Amino acid sequence: MSERTEKYYDMAISLSKFYGGKIQVIPKVPVRSLDDFSIWYTPGVAGVSNTIAKDPDKSFELTSRWNTIAIITNGTRVLGLGNIGPEAALPVMEGKAMIFKYLGGVDAFPLVVRAKTKEEVADVAERVSPAFGGINLEDIAQPDCFYLLDRLRETLDIPVWHDDQLGTAAATLAGLVNALKVVGKKLSDVKIVMFGAGAANIAGARLIMAAGGDPKKIILIDSKGALYSEREDMDKLQLVHPWKYELALKTNGEKVAGGLDEAIVGADVLIAASTPGPGVVKKEQVKKMAKDAIVFAEANPVPEIWPWEAKEAGARIVATGRSDFPNQINNSLVFPAVFRGTLDVRAKKILDEMVITAALELAKFAEERGLSEEYIIPTMEEWEVYPRVATAVGLKAIEMGLARIKLSKDEIYDHAYKMIRLSRDTLATLVKNNLISPVPAE
Amino acid sequence: MTNSASIRAAKNEDLERMVDLVSRLKRLNGEFDPLLTPVDDLENEVAKYLQGMMKDSNSVVLVLEDGGKVQGVLTAKLIDRCFYKPRLVGQIADVYLMPEYRRRGMGYKLIAEAEKLLKSKGAEMIFAEFPAKNVIAEGFYRKMGFREITEIFAKETQ
Repeated sequence: MSERTEKYYDMAISLSKFYGGKIQVIPKVPVRSLDDFSIWYTPGVAGVSNTIAKDPDKSFELTSRWNTIAIITNGTRVLGLGNIGPEAALPVMEGKAMIFKYLGGVDAFPLVVRAKTKEEVADVAERVSPAFGGINLEDIAQPDCFYLLDRLRETLDIPVWHDDQLGTAAATLAGLVNALKVVGKKLSDVKIVMFGAGAANIAGARLIMAAGGDPKKIILIDSKGALYSEREDMDKLQLVHPWKYELALKTNGEKVAGGLDEAIVGADVLIAASTPGPGVVKKEQVKKMAKDAIVFAEANPVPEIWPWEAKEAGARIVATGRSDFPNQINNSLVFPAVFRGTLDVRAKKILDEMVITAALELAKFAEERGLSEEYIIPTMEEWEVYPRVATAVGLKAIEMGLARIKLSKDEIYDHAYKMIRLSRDTLATLVKNNLISPVPAE
Repeated sequence: MTNSASIRAAKNEDLERMVDLVSRLKRLNGEFDPLLTPVDDLENEVAKYLQGMMKDSNSVVLVLEDGGKVQGVLTAKLIDRCFYKPRLVGQIADVYLMPEYRRRGMGYKLIAEAEKLLKSKGAEMIFAEFPAKNVIAEGFYRKMGFREITEIFAKETQ
């Protein structure tokens, strides 16, 4: 562990103790006197309950459900820490909830659950869904995470998202679309090697194909090597990991066997989402790629290959998961906006088409500001990107018939903008008035 | 895959590929139960077994060929049950298709062809044996009108 990381560990522990966690519930209505309880609570509230009992969808209008989501995890794959259990996952989910509120104006509730099986997690999600306008699955090990997203997308009529799959995959697609514009290549022509077949790259491959990538020119590589339809363990995959099995059938048209050394020859794009580097991807491997190579090394905290090494080996564009290098492939660009947009139109689902819409809007935002080798994707600083992506996603939900209410483009944008602005201003005001203590001096 | 996939009797030159396919099937079976763990020299044993079956006039060995390459295999043999009617029955021992050839109706065609050949040898019933936990195989056979008639229970000797 680096000295810098250790410093953040210490600060996070002492400040978590100082503040007693990171989020809280604050009423959103005034209480002029205790008489107001007769409105917000009994007897008045019974009128609201009666109304909702007649039409459960009214819960999206008359309660905070429309802006509240659950962040659900069983703690089986938390950050890079592995299976640390639900209690230990709570600080991460609280942090996520804080980001949801700050960047997206979304009230997110951290719901860590003790669940042994994927069916138990799904069951919890289904049973708590009446309280929420959406569900964000987080830090759940594969292949259970694929089962859960598939099942809950089917059984629930509120948006369901698994950030480790969709957030990273959408940011990757956005960066890829723009990187290809910079080097003047077409998505349907390029050979793409995806190193690491975890949640991010499995969803990434699915999105890239749906966005126009040629399945035959995509090669996924897992710990056993390149996936292809005749690999020795295909029968086992069909039983235990049908998602990987399907990709093995569709991708790698040339049936390249072996590892990265074999697969990377002539590749235009490398998307590594595997294990922290450096040295996981080697310069000699990048050298085997085609001219104007694009390298995404997304592992955190250390990318699979350092950006300067990839460039020395001939890569023209390099992206990583880190904010201290150019081109950060960052799921925080995606999830607050996607939920903002879906919640604003009371969407029933988040389908892959909507995820692609989010990615393309993210890409377009950067393109409007002028693409370069060092700028293929917006940064979190450019916060106007959030209402923009939210609007695109909301409109897509309406177009697909998945929205409970229909709003115009301007209405969605204005509402999204207002919600995010309000969230930031509220926090700033609380801090300014000392209602949230300043961070104590060390 | 192309549209030219066809089913035919196995030939000697198919052996190497058939050994690969049948070995894959045995390894798959090992995923379902530790008491179905394949032996160490599986390929050798499979080769001997297939050679024996191909010589045996009471056995059926079919392959699915596409573009000059074997992509599926079926083995079956005629059995005299002696105690039950009908006495002569066909046992489908192995069915394996390469992944790209699944879910295209090829498995049904292989079984139908085997059924025809076994019937011509006198079989009045056909049956198949597969790991109890293989729900994919169970669904496949049920769809073709098979039903369970006996069960094999196992335990290790103490």
